[in-house]
Amino acid sequence: MKPFAPLAALAALAALPLLGVPDYHLRLIAEVLIYGVAVMSLDLLIGFGGLVSLGHAAFFGVGAYAAALFATHVSAEILLVVPVAVLSAMAAALVMGALVVRSANLFLLILTLLLSQMVWEVVFRWRAVTGGADGFRGIPELALTLPGGHLALGGPVALYALAALLAVAATVLARSFIEAPAGRALIGTREQPLRMTALGYSVPRIRLTAFVVSAAIAGAAGALYPFVNQYVGPQVAHWTTSASLFIMLVLGGVATLYGGYVGAAIYLGFQTYISSYTERWQLVIGLLFVATVLFVPGGLGRSLKSLAASFRPQGSGAAVAGAEKRRVP
Amino acid sequence: MLGRGIGRRGFLASSAALAAGAAVSGPLAGRALAQAGRDELKIGLLTSLSGPFAALGESMRTGLQLHLQGVGGSLAGRPVRLIVEDDHAKPEEGVRKVRKLLTQDGVDIVCGVVHSGVALSIRDVLASANALTFISNGSANNLARKAASRFIFRPTKTNWMLGSTAGTWAAEKISKKNAITIAADYAAGREYVEDFIGAYKAGGGQVARQMWTPFGTTDFAPLLTDIAMAKPDLVYCFFAGSDAVRFLQQWQDYRLAGRIPLIGTGAVFDQEDVLPAVGPGIKGAVNAFHQSPTAPAPGAQAFVELYRKAHGRLPGEMSTSGYATGQVIAAAVDAVQGDLTNKDKVRDAVLALDLQTAYGPMRFDPANNQAILDVYINEVRVGSDGKPVNQVVHAYPKVSDPGDKA
Amino acid sequence: MEYVVIQSINALVFAVILLMSGLGLTVVMSLMNFINLAHGSLVLLGSYVAVFWLAIGAPWYLAFPAAFLSGAVAGAVLDRFPFRLFYARTHLMQVLLTFGLSVVFADLMRWGFGAGVATPRLPDVLRGVVFILDTPFPVYRLFVLGAGALLALGLWYLFDRTIWGAVVRACVVDRGAVESLGINTQHVFTLVLALACGLGALSGALGSGIMAAYPGLDEEVLILAFIVVVVGGLGSFSGLALSSLVLGFAMTFSKMIDPEFSNLMSLGAAAAILIVRPNGLVAPVTRQV
Repeated sequence: MKPFAPLAALAALAALPLLGVPDYHLRLIAEVLIYGVAVMSLDLLIGFGGLVSLGHAAFFGVGAYAAALFATHVSAEILLVVPVAVLSAMAAALVMGALVVRSANLFLLILTLLLSQMVWEVVFRWRAVTGGADGFRGIPELALTLPGGHLALGGPVALYALAALLAVAATVLARSFIEAPAGRALIGTREQPLRMTALGYSVPRIRLTAFVVSAAIAGAAGALYPFVNQYVGPQVAHWTTSASLFIMLVLGGVATLYGGYVGAAIYLGFQTYISSYTERWQLVIGLLFVATVLFVPGGLGRSLKSLAASFRPQGSGAAVAGAEKRRVP
Repeated sequence: MLGRGIGRRGFLASSAALAAGAAVSGPLAGRALAQAGRDELKIGLLTSLSGPFAALGESMRTGLQLHLQGVGGSLAGRPVRLIVEDDHAKPEEGVRKVRKLLTQDGVDIVCGVVHSGVALSIRDVLASANALTFISNGSANNLARKAASRFIFRPTKTNWMLGSTAGTWAAEKISKKNAITIAADYAAGREYVEDFIGAYKAGGGQVARQMWTPFGTTDFAPLLTDIAMAKPDLVYCFFAGSDAVRFLQQWQDYRLAGRIPLIGTGAVFDQEDVLPAVGPGIKGAVNAFHQSPTAPAPGAQAFVELYRKAHGRLPGEMSTSGYATGQVIAAAVDAVQGDLTNKDKVRDAVLALDLQTAYGPMRFDPANNQAILDVYINEVRVGSDGKPVNQVVHAYPKVSDPGDKA
Repeated sequence: MEYVVIQSINALVFAVILLMSGLGLTVVMSLMNFINLAHGSLVLLGSYVAVFWLAIGAPWYLAFPAAFLSGAVAGAVLDRFPFRLFYARTHLMQVLLTFGLSVVFADLMRWGFGAGVATPRLPDVLRGVVFILDTPFPVYRLFVLGAGALLALGLWYLFDRTIWGAVVRACVVDRGAVESLGINTQHVFTLVLALACGLGALSGALGSGIMAAYPGLDEEVLILAFIVVVVGGLGSFSGLALSSLVLGFAMTFSKMIDPEFSNLMSLGAAAAILIVRPNGLVAPVTRQV
């Protein structure tokens, strides 16, 4: 199942534009994928690391602004823009991670909130560079330099393709991190930090690594973000964006990597479509969220999986469900 | 769970999936149906119905709906379908909704926008789609300068028009020295203060100090204490929404009302959205505004009467903006007999308009599609019912934004 | 010199506002180990109750008890469902539940009370000024300063010096032992939650004269309250008082030094405290998430 899944996802994603899905929806799905990647990276911290952070928008935002600034002032070559954004986000994570290593639980939550709000303040006030509250407009289209010439990557299909590629690559990267010794150690620090320290692991270093890896992925997602709407504003680094990522994660399922995509789809879908039908869309999302927490605390993504599992014949289903079951926090 | 069928979790999950699926495919189906009503004139109103500007956005919608009601719901013989979308006062959401309005709903005209940030963020999408747009409120200066676009019209003021008028008045009529400015530190605040200072200095004025407050300040106490101790000759302020209410309230609390002349612009003294919450204690304060419930122009008087009959209160900027936008759109559509296919012709029609709108007289500047309006100096007075009213004491006629020459 | 004095009083008033907002939150957090992110909604509810009470012309001094009662009733209802199910759950689940509820409440209040800004019509006796060193200072702020300080002292006395307070603290440590003494701990928790929610609403009512009531206030107050409580260290009134003072002075004086960067400076101060003292200013032990 494991090697099959990413290929199947890739095939499904590739099929969508061929099915004649209209441009507007392709852009929306691209946004869902980008947010999904960001949420998935947050899952690495919260779900697998037990580090509940409300500062993730800082990484996403730094990636977004780095990409927008680089594309506008230096070059819109995608093979340069994305690494620049990733490196910027990783740098931010090094700083933030180093400052929060000794904190846990509520204190970590508040400290990450404070630090990321400081990032927002800088973005908001540095008008000369970031455009301040107005945001950043007039971003050029991404381009890919091939031996034959330039390939413009501004259209909805191109953006969608980039987002899909990002999603698959990020998921593969995240999954390999989780299964690598570093990732296993991270899960260990979530479960038993004292025992890990006794075994000689450096818990602060493991956590810092988690921050940096998670920020790298979030930064990559942030890199594509300004090009979807040809605009980036300080909202992208605000704590309410961190809270939205958190909501998406819970809706989709904590500690399941794909839960990020499910949550992002539900949240953005509701936000865009429900608000067309009623002004009370926030009430609807709130109620959905509360219902999820009350009745399906594992997240809706996880129950989709168990729904799929329940259709499988008894034997293998039980094995899959048992192996995949995570302890509900 | 496996043996007993789907179970509760599975049910919830599948309903969520179905809901998501329906949400996606629903509008797809709706699009096919929409094309059936050919004669329909589809107008998309992008406004803020949630978030910090919800009250303002609702007023704007009310104003536009009032106008459409008044013309019987059809323009130049075409029935109007108004599609209202909420941008949550967030630029990114504004872009999403505009794309939806243009591609999915296929609107003929886009109008509205409360927040300047949203206006700036959607400008590129609108420009590349060549969409006929009427920005009802987003008053960032840039839209009349570098970000102006061929088919984007703005039937309202720019921040410059108000800020510089206030500066001219202050230098002439209040004092030429020892002025303090205090404003919320974001794009609009920055523009309003810069433009005020520019005109104030040109009139011979001297600014002693500029104070900036973080957006969303709850407590102005330390700054008001500073002001009280500095004893300036006048204070120029700009805040919006709840900031404005709080500032004016606390201005009274610290006994500065009536002792230090206060002048503001724009939404700080809005008749509908700010003054009722602040009360009559703020009388004597002055503001430069393109809207006033006591504006002498016949168009304005007619609207005030109409609004008072319909809603029992005096209109503020937002409801007026919705109504005026309706008036401009109606005039333009009438001028081309309802045929919007040739956008250049529509543009010419708009630029040829000379209307009496709910603000007052309005024309458009062909250089940047920006409205030319009379800017009034309002003084807050106490009406016979004990409630505060913006009373026009002077009008600067036909103020036009200098555009790129600024 | 008088400038510093006046600004210090301003800072004290703001500190008291922070303290009051944090009280309701810390009562449940320290005494029931429950994180209530719907606290902001209760503050906003209290603000609206005060605004409406004063608008209809009822006796002004009853506005505040009315707000307290409304919060307490809301708290009692919430305790019954769904909070009771979550007292034993982890902090994360409590955060998620109460956060979702706060979104629901925010929209319901916006629906019910409208989206505009509502200011209370204060009685004349509270609207005057007092002259401190030749500068006018609003009476209402001094009223809030006094009321808040009294409230904090009263609460401290209640929980630290009375039998009932001891029962509550015992419930947190060992609920079973208290039950075996014949005391219904369920009732105790309900009362504590009602008290905390009432406190939240009361702080909203008192603050409404300075900050007004409008959608969005709940979020702003919640974040401030949370920061103040956590920076102070959980489970301690003295920690809360200390962090309110520190943050109140930081926010006020940073506005004087450079209003543009005051937010950045205040955030930095709070962050610095948490970096240097990862468990807050006055630090006891908490349960794992």
